[in-house]
Amino acid sequence: MVFDLAWLPKLSQGLVLTLQITTACIAMGIVLGILLALGRVYGNRLISTPCSIYIQIFRGTPLLVQLLMVYYGLPSWGIYPSAFISGILALGLNTGAYQAEYLRGAIQAVNPGQLMAARAIGMTLPQAIRYIVLPQAFRIVIPSWSNELILMVKYSSIVFSITLLDLMGVGRRIAMRNFRYFEVFIVVALFYLALIFIISQLLRLLEQRVRIPGLGEQAEQR
Amino acid sequence: MKIHRAITGIVVLTMMVLVATGALTLAQDKYIVASDIPWAPFEMVTSNGEFFGFDLDAIRMIAIVAGFEVEILNTGFDVIIQNVITGKADLGVSGFGITAERAKTIDYSDPYYLSNQAVVIRKDSGLNIITAMAGLGPRQAIGAQNGTTGFYFLEDELQGAGLDIEVKGYEFYPTAILDLVRGRLDAVLQDEPASQSSISAYPDLLMIAGIVNTYEYFGFLVAPGDPQGLLPRINDAVSELGLKVVEAPGGAQMLVVTPGSPWDNLLKAYFGPTNDELEAAWLSCKDLLLVDKDVDAFAKAMADEVAN
Repeated sequence: MVFDLAWLPKLSQGLVLTLQITTACIAMGIVLGILLALGRVYGNRLISTPCSIYIQIFRGTPLLVQLLMVYYGLPSWGIYPSAFISGILALGLNTGAYQAEYLRGAIQAVNPGQLMAARAIGMTLPQAIRYIVLPQAFRIVIPSWSNELILMVKYSSIVFSITLLDLMGVGRRIAMRNFRYFEVFIVVALFYLALIFIISQLLRLLEQRVRIPGLGEQAEQR
Repeated sequence: MKIHRAITGIVVLTMMVLVATGALTLAQDKYIVASDIPWAPFEMVTSNGEFFGFDLDAIRMIAIVAGFEVEILNTGFDVIIQNVITGKADLGVSGFGITAERAKTIDYSDPYYLSNQAVVIRKDSGLNIITAMAGLGPRQAIGAQNGTTGFYFLEDELQGAGLDIEVKGYEFYPTAILDLVRGRLDAVLQDEPASQSSISAYPDLLMIAGIVNTYEYFGFLVAPGDPQGLLPRINDAVSELGLKVVEAPGGAQMLVVTPGSPWDNLLKAYFGPTNDELEAAWLSCKDLLLVDKDVDAFAKAMADEVAN
């Protein structure tokens, strides 16, 4: 096996793009996920049905199909997103649907009696959600949400198919020339592994910092 | 004594089998041609599953002139060389560029086609071959199919020379053309015949700004050492059909086509029309090639059919 140090600068550039896309799509997914989860749990039928349909569609179709539809499909409607924007948009729309489902589970794990108590002391429903339910739900959702974040780091590798040079795209370009697919992809895999190791450590730290004593165990028992 | 007789028996039997199979091979004289279909206009398939295309009709014509038969086997491009080396196929006919790398593992016929790279641009872009390739267009981006000569040309000869362009690699060349149509690219660099067929799909939108000469010669390939002695027969037949390879000064090879020859007509027929027109023409002419085995009449009829 032959590894080449000359691969590293190029792969590092790819790593930067992978980080940019993952961060942006996770951020988009959080906003979308909160709105969808609230819509599903507290919305009337007019709101909760579209939210459910959205979630079903984006969880029920392959991510690659969604990506290609955004990049090659939207121009048919006169929208021309760049490859970078398409990647963020497709991954963000997709992870939004998954994050909504995780968050919905977390919201429903908060004891309904608390909501009732909040209303009894005169809080409006939005106030009760904002100050009582969501702060707890966010803490409960961290473990499953960590999984989603890690998955998105890996799923972002499909953006090579819309010409982007992320970690995977750079790896393919290097291997295409020297035909050392095995060696190049071992290095690419190590990059992903290191990245995900760091992210999961950070998330574990976050989980411990914001932990409410007793709340985590309750969620795990379900 | 008994063992001795048994050994003699085995030897005699083996010899008989060898002679019989040898005779069979001689009597058949039929060769399997591996090809990756479709790759218009070189390799194509009709709606009812018959194979045609420039390469396939050329090898059929060569077979008629050289006096053997061919059977076409559709396989993936990447396994053709393997199939030829292991004897699952006798010939590889699939628009194979002659490269020093490949020539280490298999043997080539004389070149039969010279493919250069065409620069495809949008008609309304106001660019030309120089401005488009130099990164002076609005996107500063040029597309090519991953792993092709065009792709490496962009990376090595343009980016490598310091031009500020973005090279976008696509899995399939039609998606590169799609991005050019949508305005995400300034130009697409790809083989000339494939470019022609893209232009005929978007005649109002796209045009060929010019040709970059990369001098890629296509050849037919056989197993190393040409065990069946096919290459001289193929080379002679091609030259009889009207294509001569001439050594030009400086070591380059020039392909000279005799005007009006079957080879000339076949070139005229296949390079230009749309795939649908080609299929219609081939279906109306195929009997001349497959039944009558008349190469002159077939090539002439194809050229006439397309010209109309």
